[in-house]
Amino acid sequence: MDRYQFEDLVSDYIENNISMSQRKQVEAYLEENPEAKQKVESVKQVMASMKSMPGVSTSAGFMNNLNKRIAAEKEASSVVKTARSFKGYTPLMASLSAVVVVAVVMLGFEFMPEGSSQATLSPTMAEQQLDDLPEMPAQTQDSMLAESEDDSTDYDGDIPVKSNFNDRIQLVGDKRP
Amino acid sequence: MMNLSSRASSSIPSLNMVEDFSYTDEELIARFQEGDEQAYVELVNRYRDRLMSFIYRFVNDMEKAEDLVQDTLMKLYTHRSYYRNIAKFSTWIYTIAGNLAKTELRRKKRHKVTNLSQMGFEEQEYQLPSVEPETGETAQSHYAEKQIQNAIQELPLHFRTVVILRDIQELSYEEISKIVDVPLGTVKSRINRARLQLQHSLKDFR
Repeated sequence: MDRYQFEDLVSDYIENNISMSQRKQVEAYLEENPEAKQKVESVKQVMASMKSMPGVSTSAGFMNNLNKRIAAEKEASSVVKTARSFKGYTPLMASLSAVVVVAVVMLGFEFMPEGSSQATLSPTMAEQQLDDLPEMPAQTQDSMLAESEDDSTDYDGDIPVKSNFNDRIQLVGDKRP
Repeated sequence: MMNLSSRASSSIPSLNMVEDFSYTDEELIARFQEGDEQAYVELVNRYRDRLMSFIYRFVNDMEKAEDLVQDTLMKLYTHRSYYRNIAKFSTWIYTIAGNLAKTELRRKKRHKVTNLSQMGFEEQEYQLPSVEPETGETAQSHYAEKQIQNAIQELPLHFRTVVILRDIQELSYEEISKIVDVPLGTVKSRINRARLQLQHSLKDFR
C-alpha cells in the first residue's frame, strides 16, 4: 500500500467501512508510517470538532418575518389571479374561446352547400336571374304530373334469367368432371 | 405563526400539538399538501434551526443564512405540490437549501463583495446572550470554532456541501448522495478529501 491508497481509505478506516483484508493492510501501513498514524488521529479530531460545533439558531423574529412573507405571498397571488381575469375569463380561456368561435365559423362556410349561397343574393339579383330562365309552358304543376306516363316501377319486358356459372367454375381439388 | 394555523382547512382535522412527535416529516408534508397549514408550522419548527446551521456553515454569514432559510421555507410553502413521496422530505428540503446557498455564493463571488472578516458583529446578534463573562475555556472553544469555520470556507463548494452534511448535520452517505445528486462513491471520496484538506488546514492550529 502506498500513501495515495492509504489516503483514499482514511475515512472508511475511521468509520469502519472497509473489509477485513483492507483493514489489515491499512494497519500494516500505519505500523510502518508513524506520520500516517498521526494523520488518522488528526482527521478523527477534525471530525469530532465538527460534530461538537454548537448549533446555530434562527433569530427571535424569524417566525414573524416568515409569517409576513407568507401573508404577502398570499396577497400577491390573489391580486394576480383577479387582475388576470375579466368576468371570470382568464386570458387563456378567452383566447381559446375566440379560437373555437373562429373555427366554428370557418367550418360553417366550408361545409355550406354551394347552392345555398344563392340565398344570400339580393332581391334585385334574384329577379334578374329569374328573367334569364327559359320560359316554361303555361301548365299547372298537377297537370304536368298527371300527363307523365313514365313510371320507373313499371316494367313490361321479360325479366332476364340469371346465368348459372357453377358448371364453369372449377376449384382446386375439385374432382367433378 | 398562529394565524397560519387558524387558516387550516376545515375538512382536515388539525394536528394535535401533543401528538406532533408521532407524525413523520412525510406525513406532515402530505397533510400540508392537503391544506393543513398547522403541518407546515410543525415542519418549519422541525427544520429551521437545522437549516440555519447548515446554511450558516456554508455561507458564513448569519444574516444571509437566515434570509436563505426563510427563502427555503417560502419555497416549501409555495412549491409544496412539487414534493413527491418518493424521496425523504429531509432530502428534498436540504436540496432546496443547498441550491439556494450555492446560488447565493456564486452571486456573491460574481459581485466580489465577499468579506469574511465582517462576520463577527453580525454573529453576536444570534448567539444566546452570555450572562457570565467568557472563561478561558469558552474563549478557546469559540476560537477553535472560528478556525474550523474558516477552514470550511476554504474548501471548494462540492467538498464543503458534503462534509457539512456528513460531519455537522450527521446525514447518511445515501441521503447526501441524493441531496447533491452524485453517486455514492463520489460522495464518499469527496468527504474523505474534504476531511484530509481540513486536517491539513488545521494542522498548524493544533
